[in-house]
Amino acid sequence: MTMDTRDDVPVIELRHVEKHFGDLHVLRDINLKVSRGEVLVVIGPSGSGKSTMCRTINRLETIDSGEILIEGKPLPAEGRELAAMRAELGMVFQSFNLFAHKTILENVTLGPIDVLGMKREDAEKRAMELLARVGVAEQAAKVPAQLSGGQQQRVAIARSLAMNPKAMMFDEPTSALDPEMINEVLDVMVELARGGMTMVVVTHEMNFARRVADRVVFMADGQIVEEGAPDEFFDHPATQRARDFLDSIKGH
Amino acid sequence: MSTHGKPMSIRDALYEAPGPRTRRRMIIGTVLSLAAVAVGIALIVRQFYVTGQLAPRYWTFLGQATTWRYLFQGFRGTLAVALTAGVLSLILGLVLMLGRTSGIKPLSVACRVVTDFFRGVPSLLLIYFFFLVVPQYGIKLSSFWMITLPVMLAASGVLAEVLRAGVNAVPRGQVEAAMSLGMRPARIMFKIVLPQAIRFVIPSLISQLVVVVKDTTVAYVVSYPDLMQNARVLITNYDALVSMYFTVAVVYILLNFAINKLSAVIAERLGVKIIR
Repeated sequence: MTMDTRDDVPVIELRHVEKHFGDLHVLRDINLKVSRGEVLVVIGPSGSGKSTMCRTINRLETIDSGEILIEGKPLPAEGRELAAMRAELGMVFQSFNLFAHKTILENVTLGPIDVLGMKREDAEKRAMELLARVGVAEQAAKVPAQLSGGQQQRVAIARSLAMNPKAMMFDEPTSALDPEMINEVLDVMVELARGGMTMVVVTHEMNFARRVADRVVFMADGQIVEEGAPDEFFDHPATQRARDFLDSIKGH
Repeated sequence: MSTHGKPMSIRDALYEAPGPRTRRRMIIGTVLSLAAVAVGIALIVRQFYVTGQLAPRYWTFLGQATTWRYLFQGFRGTLAVALTAGVLSLILGLVLMLGRTSGIKPLSVACRVVTDFFRGVPSLLLIYFFFLVVPQYGIKLSSFWMITLPVMLAASGVLAEVLRAGVNAVPRGQVEAAMSLGMRPARIMFKIVLPQAIRFVIPSLISQLVVVVKDTTVAYVVSYPDLMQNARVLITNYDALVSMYFTVAVVYILLNFAINKLSAVIAERLGVKIIR
């Protein structure tokens, strides 16, 4: 390897990643690099392995073989090292997963206080800034169940941001939302992308992909079938599999 | 469907709202069953009267302050055993549950065996063990601990399972979110999983406290002065079996009713927070 400057090393890199769920081959020879500041959108039919791939990046799913590198360093397999690496990667889930027994403010300050050892006042000050940034500052004292889905997902994004992550993964962040709430979440994500956040986004929102993605990855049957710039991919898909998929979601 | 903004009761949830004919049948049923209950009570009272159990000599001692002072001492004994056993069994149950759900195989198997053992063995058998077997090995226990330990052990097995059910009820996503923040397993268990698990199972925990209270009644085996034991002494003194047992039953019912009421209040207070 040549002497890379720090920014030439991909923030996230997957090399020959394989995974089986029993007989099901969910990830087949996945190779992927995400550069600093890049927004990578992963699309594909359900069951194509895109969520699983997204979750392998911080080892919420283990892999059978292959390598996952974060800033050139292999993802630790367990223990303190794995936890420390996870703390540097943000994750936003389809079902929000806000801590149900904690207030919105506590949800956002828990990581900084508990994991980063930040002082409570500092953590709360920063949390309020983040909550304001995603537009839910006035909900800070409530518990998650009192918020709408869109609000909860924005809090979840703020919770991830509070850890100052190197990159953020979004696992179908709008799939559990009522239609009228999808845009409020996407707007926050667009804002993040413009601010230079490194993002891996698994989504069915094709407009978002076209507008925000630096690169689109199309997965089917556990493989990366095609990848490219969004306009190129959406206007001139190279493979029949991608054409079929894009046709199937058109006309709505 | 009930749309009156009133909270739904179990009955609302299980059955459709009654129509006019059903309502008429319900009224008839209510009247008939009330009559049946009244007749039943009358028969019982009559039988007591016939056998002389209502005679004043069986009841007048209940008017004496000494009787109640003695019963109250017993009541305090019952509370002391029940509370001590309750708190200790909660701690031991928690430890057993944590051991069982830990990834460490031998520990998990050991905790499982211990849990199932205490859950399966009748508490009276455990009491005999502490009363008859333990002293043979030169371990001197006061009568308080001879009753408290077995009751505590029996309850801890059940509580371990109740807590485990609660832990299993916490959605996987809560743990994944905490892991993603970089939290370590033990912190996740104590800060994220357990607080939610305990809220899920508070009603069951309190029901188990009722069982503990009832288990303490075998304290007479070890001659510990609990409510039941003191009642037995009074029975011997005044030769008043029915009246004394009746009085004590009422006290136990009131105590357990109070515990249940407490559980309802706690569940409601916490329930507001955990509705999803």
